[in-house]
Amino acid sequence: MTTNVEFGASVDAAPPVLSVHGLAKRFGGVVALRDVSLELRPGEVHCLAGENGSGKSTLIKIISGAEFPDGGQIVVDGESRERMDTTSAIETGIQVIYQDFSLFPNLTVAENIVLTSAVAQRHKFHNARRARAQAKEIVEELQLDLDLDADVGNLSVANRQLTAICRAMISRARVIIMDEPTTALTHAEVTNLFVLVDKLRDRGVALLFVSHKLNEVLRISQRVTIMRSGAVVTAGPVEDFDIKSITKFMTGLDIDDVRTLPELSPEAEVRLEVVGLTLPGAFWDVNFQVRKGEILGITGLLGSGRTEIAESLFGIVPAERGTVRVDGESVAIGSIRDAVSAGIGYVPEDRLTQGLFLEKSIADNIVASSLSEHRTKWRVLDRRRIRATIDELFQKLHIQAPNAKAAVRTLSGGNAQRVVLAKWLATNPKILILNGPTVGVDVGSKAQILDLLREQARRGMAVIVISDDEPELVACCHRVLVVTKGRVSGELAGDDVSVETIQQSMAV
Amino acid sequence: MPKNDLSTGLRDTNGRVDSLVRGMVERARDNRGVGRMVLVFVASFTLFAALNPRVFLGPINLQNIMVSAPEVGVIAVAMTLAMLTGGIDLSLVSIANLSAITMSTMYTALGASSPGLAESMAVPILLAGIMVGVLCGLLNGVLIGVVGITPILATLGTMQILNGLAIVWTGGSTLYGAPSGFVTFGKTAVATIPMLFIVFLAVAISIAIMINRTALGRKMELQGANPVAALFSGIRSAKVLLGSYAIGGGLAGLAGFLFLARNPTASADYGTSYVLLVIVIAVLGGANPNGGFASVAGVVLATLTLQVVSSGFTALRLSTYQYAIAQGVILITVMIVDAITWPKLRRGKKRIASGAPTK
Repeated sequence: MTTNVEFGASVDAAPPVLSVHGLAKRFGGVVALRDVSLELRPGEVHCLAGENGSGKSTLIKIISGAEFPDGGQIVVDGESRERMDTTSAIETGIQVIYQDFSLFPNLTVAENIVLTSAVAQRHKFHNARRARAQAKEIVEELQLDLDLDADVGNLSVANRQLTAICRAMISRARVIIMDEPTTALTHAEVTNLFVLVDKLRDRGVALLFVSHKLNEVLRISQRVTIMRSGAVVTAGPVEDFDIKSITKFMTGLDIDDVRTLPELSPEAEVRLEVVGLTLPGAFWDVNFQVRKGEILGITGLLGSGRTEIAESLFGIVPAERGTVRVDGESVAIGSIRDAVSAGIGYVPEDRLTQGLFLEKSIADNIVASSLSEHRTKWRVLDRRRIRATIDELFQKLHIQAPNAKAAVRTLSGGNAQRVVLAKWLATNPKILILNGPTVGVDVGSKAQILDLLREQARRGMAVIVISDDEPELVACCHRVLVVTKGRVSGELAGDDVSVETIQQSMAV
Repeated sequence: MPKNDLSTGLRDTNGRVDSLVRGMVERARDNRGVGRMVLVFVASFTLFAALNPRVFLGPINLQNIMVSAPEVGVIAVAMTLAMLTGGIDLSLVSIANLSAITMSTMYTALGASSPGLAESMAVPILLAGIMVGVLCGLLNGVLIGVVGITPILATLGTMQILNGLAIVWTGGSTLYGAPSGFVTFGKTAVATIPMLFIVFLAVAISIAIMINRTALGRKMELQGANPVAALFSGIRSAKVLLGSYAIGGGLAGLAGFLFLARNPTASADYGTSYVLLVIVIAVLGGANPNGGFASVAGVVLATLTLQVVSSGFTALRLSTYQYAIAQGVILITVMIVDAITWPKLRRGKKRIASGAPTK
């Protein structure tokens, strides 16, 4: 029955495809959800906003059948039930697109699009030609520019996402839940995604967006539900909200996202100087300076070379030509170790695999880069000094955990990022490079992390923030360099730094 | 707004409960290897003591456990080091044999010209044996840390090479002869505790200190826990791996000395059953085969447990084949117990983590 539903044009007053009423869920003594209700209507984008730990993902898991609620109802097509299991969720047409997309990197786009539905329909044999035809049909229907025969492992994040959406659509999705769909996308890619979302809406799909990026939420959705501490604090049509009010509902606080720069004396010495840095194929002739106490933003589209510049300064993929000077002295950076010795720290974009030892404790992570600096004259570790360093940073960075012995895996995004920061602050670096410092970090933590950067700058550190989150750059950077196709194509400074100017110079 | 206060209040309470649960899970995990091995050790000891107290609790049997445990135990500690960095070292027993053969050959060669000199050179001979171990370990370290070969393949290769070398060298026969100092050392006991056992404990304690109290040891842990993050943290992986395999090789060289001290013969095929046994011991002792976690105390207990079972079987007049079955059963039982308790803990964690949906 559910497999043959056709979607018509009557979208306006359509009854909800799926709604939940009074959901409750406890984990042990912890209340994850309290009396949560939500309605998803066909042809509507519904945004679910909330900080980390507010219960968003528990709600998604209950809707998709991965967890069972302790109380409340789930109503599908007017039919009420107490719980959903994963099989019936898929049969009902509920599809979740997680941040990692759960694709097979070694298979082609076409295979990825078709396989799950083939498995769901219990096909015993794989017919490559039919599979490709089916995949082609959906890709053309949605007017996407996707190479069906490319390996998913070689695709950009944006194209992987499109693949995942096609996969959902081929399974006749009526409800698509997207977890943080825009965090890894550039401005242009987000626009692309939103065009597709509008098409899905026209087809009568109900979309649930989980997002931190409030300006995007306001742009794409028709309805907003905001959660805090496991309960819905408010819900309503998008017209009733603006960024400020959403932030306030999410955090319970007033947060200023305005431009606050640490004072920078005009005489401040140059801390880092980069001259003619070149890595053929990635970036060419990059020149810039960062002074003591200055926060420099580097932005550009994904693939513009912004990440590669940072990675070469940190010795991951060293530049082939050019000079790097730290405090006036020329340093050769041929390996990560060279960069660390020169006083450069790097907070990577992919903090889960590159930045953190997830199974290890917060304490172990904090001192990971400065073990050799914490030795007594007998060459053994100075445990008292190590504990002092850990305690100091644990408190100073407000890492929220029972104690520093907790495994980093148990931490939320914002707290995990603070641990990476703590690891570098423990080395007392001269220069700190941050790639996407607040990706996947909730609003409250984001403000705190930016504050922390400002404070470090005030103490004389040179900070480089690589980001495509314009408001973040505006909020903390003295200057912003724009990278286009591997070259610095523009520089904004002082009052010229604004969301609009950055977007304009990136669009060129 | 009162509703607001209520919800922040609730959030605080949730936070505290959350913290408590997390802390408990952490502690349970930290002490997993040691705690369960204490249990298994006491259980097996009690079992055999109850089944045949006269033989099992006899001084000869207890002495015997303490004399035969060290050679396996020291190699197991070396294996633990390799596993800590996320690797494995299949060549350890071959290294130990090569070291024993080197020492025996040196003694015989020196003895041919001057027997007195050969005896007085016991310490240099011992050091030479350990050096052979260190050099073989360095070779492993270069292959794994510098060239980048997968540890299981690299050490499989060196195991074959060293084993072949030993056979060619000895012509496949057993070499006799070791400094009498070695043999005396093997028979000496301090307050009924054999010197060999004291060496084992000393090795265990020094390696435990190395892992927990030195930068190198902590870097080994981090390297094993996440090699990519280790690289991005400025840890020189090659150096850490070289250190880890060289120390492991040195320990294997020392094990060669323990072979000779127990029995002044050396051959290429001694202790071949140890290769897999030490992996069993390391894992039982709490070493995570994926790297990053290991407990030397757990390894000592696991060594003793298997030795207790072995001599218990002898006391009950069961065969070595039945002992082999018992080893496998113990390993799999402990893993099953792990698998049963782990998912629960894991799920507990996930629940907590599920509060943090968007990474």
